[in-house]
Amino acid sequence: MAAVIKESKTDRLFLICNYLYVAIAFVLVLYPVVYILSASISTPSYVNSGEMWLLPKGITFEGYMRVFENSKIWVGYGNTILYTVVGTLINLLVTLPAAYALSRKDFVGRGFFMGMFLVTMFFSGGLIPTYLIVKQLGLVNSMWALILPGAASVWNIIVARTFFQSTIPIELQEAAHMDGCTNLRLFLKIVVPLSTPIIAVMALFYGVGHWNSYFNALVYLNDQSKYPLQMVLRQILVLQEMSTSAQGAATSGEAAMAMNAKADMAALLKYAVIIVATLPIIAVYPFVQRYFVQGVMIGSVKG
Amino acid sequence: MTNQSPFRVRSTFMRKTGTVALSLVLGTTLLAGCSGGKAEEAANSNSAANVSKEGFPIVKEPITLSMMGPDVGLQNWKDMPAFKEMEKLTNVSFTFENPPLDSFETKKNLVFASGEYPDIFYASSLTQADEVNYGNQGILVPLEGLIDNYAPNLKKIMDEDPSIRKSITTPDGHIYSLPVINQQSIWYRSPMWYNGDFLEALKVKDLPTTTEGLYDLLVRFRDEDPNGNGKKDEIPLSSVKLDDIRSWLLGAWGIYGEDIYNDANGKVHFARTEDGYREFLTYMNRLWSENLLDHEAFSQTPDQKKAKGANNQLGLFQDWHAYFTHGGKPTTKDPMFVPVKSDAVDKPAVAIHPGLSTGSFAITESNPSPEASMRWVDYMYSYEGAMLFDKGPEGLMYETVNEKDHTKKWKELPSQYNSREDYRGTLTPNYGTPAPTLLSPDLQKGLKEDFDTWVDKQNDEKILAYDPQPPFPILYLTQEEQAEISSLRADMDTYIEQMEAKFVTGQEPLTSWDTYLATIKQMGGDRVVEIYQGAYDRWKSS
Repeated sequence: MAAVIKESKTDRLFLICNYLYVAIAFVLVLYPVVYILSASISTPSYVNSGEMWLLPKGITFEGYMRVFENSKIWVGYGNTILYTVVGTLINLLVTLPAAYALSRKDFVGRGFFMGMFLVTMFFSGGLIPTYLIVKQLGLVNSMWALILPGAASVWNIIVARTFFQSTIPIELQEAAHMDGCTNLRLFLKIVVPLSTPIIAVMALFYGVGHWNSYFNALVYLNDQSKYPLQMVLRQILVLQEMSTSAQGAATSGEAAMAMNAKADMAALLKYAVIIVATLPIIAVYPFVQRYFVQGVMIGSVKG
Repeated sequence: MTNQSPFRVRSTFMRKTGTVALSLVLGTTLLAGCSGGKAEEAANSNSAANVSKEGFPIVKEPITLSMMGPDVGLQNWKDMPAFKEMEKLTNVSFTFENPPLDSFETKKNLVFASGEYPDIFYASSLTQADEVNYGNQGILVPLEGLIDNYAPNLKKIMDEDPSIRKSITTPDGHIYSLPVINQQSIWYRSPMWYNGDFLEALKVKDLPTTTEGLYDLLVRFRDEDPNGNGKKDEIPLSSVKLDDIRSWLLGAWGIYGEDIYNDANGKVHFARTEDGYREFLTYMNRLWSENLLDHEAFSQTPDQKKAKGANNQLGLFQDWHAYFTHGGKPTTKDPMFVPVKSDAVDKPAVAIHPGLSTGSFAITESNPSPEASMRWVDYMYSYEGAMLFDKGPEGLMYETVNEKDHTKKWKELPSQYNSREDYRGTLTPNYGTPAPTLLSPDLQKGLKEDFDTWVDKQNDEKILAYDPQPPFPILYLTQEEQAEISSLRADMDTYIEQMEAKFVTGQEPLTSWDTYLATIKQMGGDRVVEIYQGAYDRWKSS
């Protein structure tokens, strides 16, 4: 008879504390999500006055209706998807080969290149010099300004490199070489298929980064029709704050009225926009998460 | 999307070298041209030949310039009827660069840093520091010569009111930006309003005119349940960090501005160290401790304040119009705050807007035709041009009833727009942005609704009747003064803000006032006043 080991008192106490702790953490994480969900279908005045704090109050779908009517948001959506897909592909195309090359002990100048890479993690040119370079490369006001300057993230390269080092045994490479396999073929046919976890993790890291980024768009894009979603979102949110604070200095009564109208509109829209903008990420996350745990752990142990 | 060619890189390089050459030329012109704008004209004679000094079109051969201005997200500038009409009239067209209003500041700084400037900044809110800084570097072109020769409308206004020229001239004697001249503006800050429902419920006939009277009324707001819901949820006076109500109440102790202000004798004061300010703090502390001042005043956001107003909880509050906070449609039920006075003064001090803001239009060194640009913008300072950019071309929003006295009437609103303002935002860039123009009372003639007329009357009775003054003239500091002020005030302002909250909420008793004064002195308070006094004297004698 298989004896069940009886839990000791301290064990049980530990378990209870654990559950308690996890439950608190869960509530802390869940609350903002529920709040935003509820706020997105509540009447703005309830939200602002704090009467709506958990469940929706004065249910209205006007915010969502306005979002779906707003062509800018959809243009932004399209752009964000484009930038995220193309951007992430390029990121992977750059990161994986670089990481693999750096993971090979027989790579001549490995230390030197690694060192050069690392330098860029600690020193950067700053905003204006970077802007000048991007401008002189002729990238300003094109999607490539959002994609190319950040194509390789050194941090991610290191994580991927560590993965390759620790999971692809050198013996495998040697065996492949024996059989006359070239380096390129080795990488494409053996290393990449064995590395799905890290590829998924990298794709997630980069993808979320692209999805959420607005600052580069703010700096490099001039054309409204190229704005990504986050930029549109930011415009809506910031305008609301500005309009309420700037009224004291508004140049005319009409301007004040315009700003007031805009603030009301923004109050209605903002939570709905947040939901619409985050939903895809939330939807994708569970599917990638299992790789996420595997991949990033491997990176961390030997990093 | 990738229309960038290698040529672009090269042309940037060329422009860089060109920049150096141009600034050299400009530097020498400045040296030579102190007496007038003659030298600049000579330097630009090529572009000037194409420009006619009066009448339209402005240029014989069409030209295209680049313009940077803030976008409020209703319409692309290139599709705005105001610009199209203007192009037909003047032969000047534009390529636009329009970062959104909220990130305009960031983009503007990048543009200045990158060396590839637009030809024109429009509605650009250049700060005075920007002007002094980039003007000295030669990036912004001095405008005084151009104004004399190519801006008859603006020149006429400036001749009629010499204080405008004084206020837009930087310490080096040059004008680098054109102003918004607003003859309609009265409010230095948006006014305070009483909740009309409360007044009605309490049968208040006469609004208080003294600080004690105000106190009594606020007590009644607190105790007598004026919103009639049976709960004591009324907040007699609300505020966000006092910034909104401070300047209106300070007047009760004879203080014209909440920061730097000058008195009739030309002496500059720093409000936060005056005795009157101490009295103000004492009064506010009294309101606080008796629950008359919103206890969330130092923590709430403007939105939260508004929500309370919409909930009919507020008795006295500040906003542009009362209905923005109180909710609903424009109404004449909520009367404007009447300035109150304390026993210390004979009459309350009331501030009025100087009617001018700088930095709304500038021409950069890369502009191939400053003359045409100046003539173009000068039209905005005429009635017709101001009208075109205020309400769009005639026949869309309005039509003229009487040519002579400029009476107009509204046309029916196209059905796809919710309000006239939404429509207006698609016609012209002068929508919530500080655009170079002359906002004269004539622009609104015939277009005022009953509500607007009522607001005008409130202004007459409750502001203009009190002999209001602008707290401090618009003036420029030199680069050194600006730097010194910035470094002195960084800490000082934080300290003042914190101490104000502590004094009002009673965390710090008013007996520590002397320590407070000593600390400000130690932080350089006297030096701040000294710098502003110097700038004021310079302004006065210029």
